Amino acid sequence: MDILKNAARLAAAAGCALVMSTAVRAEPVTLTWFMWSGSDAEVSAWKHVAGLVTEKYPDIKIEFQTASWPDYWTKLPALAASGQLPDIISLQSMRTPGFANLFEPLDPYAKKDGFDLAAFDTSIVQGLTDDGGLRALPYDFGPMVMFYNQDMFEKYKVEEPKVGWTNDDFLKAAKALTVDGNYGTAQSVPDVFFAYARSAGANYLKDGALDLTNEPLKAAFQSYVDVVAKDKVAPLFPASGTPSGAQANGRFVAGSVAMYVDGPWSLINVKDSVKFKVGIAPLPAGAAGSISLSAGSGFGIASTSKHKDEAWKALQVLTGPEAEEYLASNGRAFAARNAQQKFWYESAAKGVANAQATIEAALKTAEPYKTTAEWNTVSQLFEQYAPLAFAGSQSAATTLDQIQQLSEQ
Amino acid sequence: MSSKLAAAPSRAGTGRAKAILKDDRRAAFWFLLPSFLGLTIFLLVPLAASLVLSFTNWQLIGQSKFVGWRNYVNLISLDPSFWQVLRNTFHFTIEYLVLNIVISVTMAVWISNLRWGKSFFRLIFFLPTFTPLIGSAIVWLLIFTPGGFADFIFSTLHLPIPNLLTSPDLALQAIVIVSLWSGFGYNLLLFGAALEAIPQSYLDAAAIDGASSWQRFWRIKLPLISPTLFFGTVMTAITSLQVFDQVYALTRGGPGSATATLGFSIYRTGFAAYKMGYASAIAWVLFVIIMALTILQLRVQRRWVHYDL
Repeated sequence: MDILKNAARLAAAAGCALVMSTAVRAEPVTLTWFMWSGSDAEVSAWKHVAGLVTEKYPDIKIEFQTASWPDYWTKLPALAASGQLPDIISLQSMRTPGFANLFEPLDPYAKKDGFDLAAFDTSIVQGLTDDGGLRALPYDFGPMVMFYNQDMFEKYKVEEPKVGWTNDDFLKAAKALTVDGNYGTAQSVPDVFFAYARSAGANYLKDGALDLTNEPLKAAFQSYVDVVAKDKVAPLFPASGTPSGAQANGRFVAGSVAMYVDGPWSLINVKDSVKFKVGIAPLPAGAAGSISLSAGSGFGIASTSKHKDEAWKALQVLTGPEAEEYLASNGRAFAARNAQQKFWYESAAKGVANAQATIEAALKTAEPYKTTAEWNTVSQLFEQYAPLAFAGSQSAATTLDQIQQLSEQ
Repeated sequence: MSSKLAAAPSRAGTGRAKAILKDDRRAAFWFLLPSFLGLTIFLLVPLAASLVLSFTNWQLIGQSKFVGWRNYVNLISLDPSFWQVLRNTFHFTIEYLVLNIVISVTMAVWISNLRWGKSFFRLIFFLPTFTPLIGSAIVWLLIFTPGGFADFIFSTLHLPIPNLLTSPDLALQAIVIVSLWSGFGYNLLLFGAALEAIPQSYLDAAAIDGASSWQRFWRIKLPLISPTLFFGTVMTAITSLQVFDQVYALTRGGPGSATATLGFSIYRTGFAAYKMGYASAIAWVLFVIIMALTILQLRVQRRWVHYDL
């Protein structure tokens, strides 16, 4: 009996010790973090930010995994399907409807800790939220703006774009700059077109579903296409492995296109790779004003993660003031935290004409870029079918009908 | 049955032969096992899995359920792009196959008649075959892009040819050109080796009999390389039905659906729209087409392939 009693006591003590040890000292945890990247500089920036987490929580180590932007969106669902999602995964606001269910809703965590979401820009917090709640904490965002080659405007004595400029001003400038083998502007699809359509007062969604066949949108697309097809002041981009947005960026950087639309996240790379002065301006105003679309990205917890509490701690550091200051001062991110945006103006936007006035004006009227769950398909269909309209092989209206029909099946 | 066989009278000699045969069988089993396992794990299982998938609506994320023949029915009756895709695939296959075989046979005969530089020319023409197509397609993209080198050539020669990549009627020709450039070197090497194997005495005898070089080609060389020609044709037909890299890098199926092929369609449906079940159904349609075409070729070969050298 005694032996039995002693054994029981020993077991109880051992049990206690086990419980105690986990309570007192958290076991070191290695979290995996999956994020897209496009260059070594980006990878080292993310690794630095991951290091901040370990600095604050020595028991949490972060293993950084990466893929290029297009591959990320192929790999993420594949990882999900095979049950191998990393603990922390990254989300872009335009892809929230399609991928939200891979992400753990963060509202309960934020509520529990009294986490201050008001420190972030509201539009990007909305962009990363779906019916199920907030899916990721944002690190960057931004409205699309017009990038322009200041040297070309000076050389041909054309008035530079400025806050309050209109579509007529834009077309006039584009025509004046289509000289000496250069083009005035570059028209990419679909993101920039949707911003153009919103400014023209048309909409591409109806009750949350894709609606490309309404008349105002068709009219807007025709005039967007005519800049290439009729006015010929923008190059004709073929459907190819290089998305039209990247082709526009390439032509602008090469100095053969005077204007193109992009997000503030591209500014640092553009500025570093061109030999001319870069300026930015809000999108030219259409019938409904200058309405830009804003998008951004953030990090969330995979719903399959076994270390959700640790991941939540890590998220707060990855998108915390220190990380945001680092990313913004390196020009990597137009900070999603309002207080840290000034560091971006001092780095990425340094020497860029009208940068702060432009971003502030654009943000005043910008809408979050709303999308549907099948956005990847819509995007690819635009890349594939829009060249038919740009080349004048078929009308803009027919093209939109085709894309609508193909995206539905 | 086996006990009956065992009970049957046997001579000592056949007994030993049986033992050796048994040993051989065992050895063969162990030698074959690794590749058989590899084949099973990496080919047969995925093949069966994709067949099962083609009857589901699996979308990578979320639950999937069996939908019976619906994927196949949708493909044939509802999908607005499927028939265009099928047409493109056949158009590409026929045009590419004919041009590839004609060009590679012609070049192989030409090279085999050279006095010097045979291996040099073979190497030069074989180079594109082991150049990663996805990389060289980017160079081709720069050549074909509006206002690029190809347009410059066309306009300098006053040829009324519009830009290939943006013309829905001609975009497929760009894919054919790039495929030919990258693909004919392999067949060239294959046919070159077959031509080298023809005994010189046959050709000399024919020459003495007064056969022209044209006759020597049609009556002697061509029949004698016909087994290799057949192999090359079958393999080229299969790879051209599966064409993907060129389309992916050069046109992404565009403009519109002008260059969308079955291979590209599988990719787009599976990895852009994440409809894995539907993509598997397209993949099985492609499988059946390739299978049918190969069987047809095997049947027809009896009429024109000569295996006696």
